Amino acid sequence: MSNTGRQLKIGPTDNTSDQRTPRNRLRLIPEIARESFAPYVPQRGLSRQNDWDLTRIAPDLPRAEGVAIEVSGKLQNERGTPISNAMLEIWNANHFGRYRHIEDHSNIPLDEHFLGTGRVFTDSEGNYTFWTISPGAYLARPDIGRWRPKHIHISVSGGGSRLITQLYFPDEPNNASDPMAILMGDDFERNIGKPYETPKIDVDSGLNFDIVVGGRNAVYFE
Amino acid sequence: MKANMQADLLLPTNEDTVGPYFPINFSDPLLEDLSQFESGITAQPQGVPIILKGRLLDRYGELANGTVVEFWQANAKGVYRSPKHEGDSDIDPWFWGYGRLRTESGEFEFKTIMPGPCADRASNITITLFSDGISRIVTQIFFADQTGNASDPLLQSLSCEDQAKLSARHEGEADCGSKIYTIDIVMAGENEIPFFDDLIREGE
Ligand SMILES: [Fe+3]
Repeated sequence: MSNTGRQLKIGPTDNTSDQRTPRNRLRLIPEIARESFAPYVPQRGLSRQNDWDLTRIAPDLPRAEGVAIEVSGKLQNERGTPISNAMLEIWNANHFGRYRHIEDHSNIPLDEHFLGTGRVFTDSEGNYTFWTISPGAYLARPDIGRWRPKHIHISVSGGGSRLITQLYFPDEPNNASDPMAILMGDDFERNIGKPYETPKIDVDSGLNFDIVVGGRNAVYFE
Repeated sequence: MKANMQADLLLPTNEDTVGPYFPINFSDPLLEDLSQFESGITAQPQGVPIILKGRLLDRYGELANGTVVEFWQANAKGVYRSPKHEGDSDIDPWFWGYGRLRTESGEFEFKTIMPGPCADRASNITITLFSDGISRIVTQIFFADQTGNASDPLLQSLSCEDQAKLSARHEGEADCGSKIYTIDIVMAGENEIPFFDDLIREGE
């Protein structure tokens, strides 16, 4: 019987990771207490009508600057069972690499037509689709010249599934030096989207990202 | 997609840091106050209203700003609102048990009701932290003045020192009458609290 939990690793060149990563090994949960560690998230509603389209702030407003992309994929659990009616909360930087967030104090320009946050739900087969502007990379550590590669933040919640992750883009020069990508090692490949063509819709290209929520104690079948 | 041969399971998508800019416009006041059902509805969950005041601290004792905190707890009768308990007569229709907030400073206030003890377990709240620099980390906190702590299997798997780190202390009453509990959640370093591994099972 192996009786220790994981030792979390610290992202190299990431100061926050050094400050906040627990140094002790994670403790194992006694079997009798496992159920209590698996939250079940109630369904919530949408706030804006076009929450699926991050490329514009409202349907009647112009499109933001940059490359419009479609992101789509299937959400499933480790057994391959589709997870329906789950909420994806999405946020990404604008074309230039700036978030419209009160705590993003960088000098990179905002785009008056880009909000950069949205939400969608998976359908009965676990599929989701949203549009956004391909985000810019941004300089995360000016002191050592480390960039964050282009990425889209995605938070999945609903029922027994809970995951916060990031979607990366293929062949980006900064992928290899990202501290979280370094920690993921070969597994990083699973967080890179697969490009596809989008001839019939009003975006420049597509990125497929199938999401597998795994590893939690209790898997509820939705 | 590649399958995990050993168990014939799909390989999970990697969890990643939430980053510093979790959108504040995703906040939902109803998820920060479970002692209410919905605003304007004359219904209240059963149980003793409490306010959990917490501080998230890093290894230098600095507040861990911008962290997303999630809560999961049983109702006053000790029943979780999960599919396993569907139809249970002790389900409280006015209580879900899932909460979420983003703390700008690293301090938070979560309004809820005292979770009931349930078979074998003392009153507790599962707390999940999503923060810049790390992926999800999970712990469970208890209440120093509630019964059952001495026989809780999770608490009893820890040293006395670690048990104390997971015990919220009762510190007075708010104007609204809610009991106030306080807890310091030290994420790393000298006074680091225990975090738990919900990916690995005993014996695996
Ligand atoms: Fe980011």
